[in-house]
Amino acid sequence: MSADLTTARHASSDDPRVMLEEAVGVFAPIPPYPPRTEREAEFYTLGDGEMFINMGPQHPSTHGVLRVVLKIEGERVVDLDPVLGYLHRGVEKLCENADYHHTIAYTDPLEYVSALFNEWAPVMAFEKLMDVEVPRRAEYIRVLSGELNRIASHALFMGWMALDLGGLTPILWSFIERDEIVDMLASLTGQRMLFNYFRIGGVNGDLNHEFMSRLGAWMSKATSQIEANQALLNENEIFVRRMRGLGTLDREAAFRLCMTGPNIRASGVPLDMRRAHPYSVYPDLEFDIPTRQEGDCLARYLVRLDEVKQSIRIIDQCLHDMPDGPIMAKLPRLMRPRPGRAYAAVEGPRGQYATYAISDGTDQPFRMRIHDPSFVHLQAVGLLTSGNLIADTMAIMASLDPIMGGVDK
Amino acid sequence: MALTPDRPGDPPAAAPTPDEGSSAIEPAGAHDLIVPIVVPNTMWASVDPLAYVGGRADENTHLRQLEASDLLRKDDARWGALDVIPTKADYVLDLIRANSLWPLLSGLACCAIEMMSAATSKNDMDRWGMFPFRASPRQADVLIVAGTLTTKMAGPLIRLWEQMPEPKWCVAMGDCTCSGGRYKRSYSTIQGIDRVMPVDVYVPGCPPRPEGLIYGMMKLQQLVLERRGHWPERAVGPTVPDGV
Repeated sequence: MSADLTTARHASSDDPRVMLEEAVGVFAPIPPYPPRTEREAEFYTLGDGEMFINMGPQHPSTHGVLRVVLKIEGERVVDLDPVLGYLHRGVEKLCENADYHHTIAYTDPLEYVSALFNEWAPVMAFEKLMDVEVPRRAEYIRVLSGELNRIASHALFMGWMALDLGGLTPILWSFIERDEIVDMLASLTGQRMLFNYFRIGGVNGDLNHEFMSRLGAWMSKATSQIEANQALLNENEIFVRRMRGLGTLDREAAFRLCMTGPNIRASGVPLDMRRAHPYSVYPDLEFDIPTRQEGDCLARYLVRLDEVKQSIRIIDQCLHDMPDGPIMAKLPRLMRPRPGRAYAAVEGPRGQYATYAISDGTDQPFRMRIHDPSFVHLQAVGLLTSGNLIADTMAIMASLDPIMGGVDK
Repeated sequence: MALTPDRPGDPPAAAPTPDEGSSAIEPAGAHDLIVPIVVPNTMWASVDPLAYVGGRADENTHLRQLEASDLLRKDDARWGALDVIPTKADYVLDLIRANSLWPLLSGLACCAIEMMSAATSKNDMDRWGMFPFRASPRQADVLIVAGTLTTKMAGPLIRLWEQMPEPKWCVAMGDCTCSGGRYKRSYSTIQGIDRVMPVDVYVPGCPPRPEGLIYGMMKLQQLVLERRGHWPERAVGPTVPDGV
């Protein structure tokens, strides 16, 4: 394909400028190589009255750099082929060459709107490798900051969802909420987005006065503020009628596609890693798992809104039950776990984040595999959009809420 | 016919000098060919003479021949001399351009969220005249490259940059675009976008706060005003003049 830099060359050996000998980024919809799979052969064969249309990688509503080849007939989408890899940063390979502490910095920006969960999964896997007992206060701080991050992520989801449908106002409201939470977390962790806060055996810093005062001020108005935000869309008849019945995913298909998180809960499956495979202090906390039966875009949207309320409930309990004690386990600075393998999964705002790490006894992971929910959920886009209008592609994709950093790793 | 020296393509043998023809208005069609008025270009000159060859010594001037040949014509929007020449009107128009920068709505990764945060309610970039995020590169002035640039995305991003009309500016937002950042050692990233396109302002940080981006954009406004009517060639590395 002419889109990559195979034709690039340098003008001279000491000139860093990259020169291109032919026009770049011109997308021929049909790839220049022969079809590699049956699926490709079927997709790239045009039927009667069908045509290809290219969307992305620069598109305002693809949530990042996703390229989608749509096969359309008139205004209807017949089939769809997502082309990935525009944000492939080679995280898993980098982690093999970094020691166990450094991997947190690499996995952090995978899903950049919910970075804490990207730290949580590898940290838990490494703790299993090293048999570390995490102090209870550290676990509570992890849950507290993680749930705050979940609320910030769902707030952004609400804004993007409306933005992709053409409504500009909700994103202005949801960014107010997101900025408040993120500034609060910045006073705890030192960073606004890529927190780099969890450590193997604990967390980086204890709760401080600024964080607690910001959190208290926010909690006093959180419920009313979130309900005001949600009233923007929930009571909008245009939005609700557009979303209802769109992109319906039934229970069996959701299982078959290995979906997790709010997307499968909207199809009537109460699967939540916090209850299914309890970790951290979640067994001690009381919260419900909101589910919906419809499986359409509106259900996926409403499930996330219900989760925000449960997160506030969890934060309340964390603040009430927060024990005293250390925030880090006693650990050697240079970690050499015994050879073995470990798997850990956490429930993030988009589903199941998991890490599978293999240790060979050195201070670096021998292999590290990152499971990201967005990649799995993107499989469903082709199933859900076929038969719908082109404009509904964005709505369905927004309701699945993929983040391309996690998809491409 | 062979005795007539004037052919349609030739200049007239005796063109009237300005002293002769200044008093009398000659009718149209008096001459076969209208002599074009050539105004000497005093406005457009290289601000930084070193910038043309990227600050290298004279032995690399074959690059200039290379650029003059047809080989690199497709790269003219990125490197080397500009295709357009600013005029005296641009001296005034740059005032307007500086106070109404239209960025391209193009986010690559993490920094895009902070770019959106800079554009929404709390940090409102619109207050400094940098708001309307355009989804089409044909309507944009500034390309804010927000996020890690991978080798696969480099081609489309260059295409976006080439599609933007002159004058255009590029802001590298985040460590990944400045130098490669935390993914510098990866096999699939580009270590700094100034390898593939010229950059005017670098905003480091991983990611920079929205205030950082707004500060960078204010520096860009200052830079546009500094260069009013003088658009330099596209070169490698930061092109910020002294004092900005």
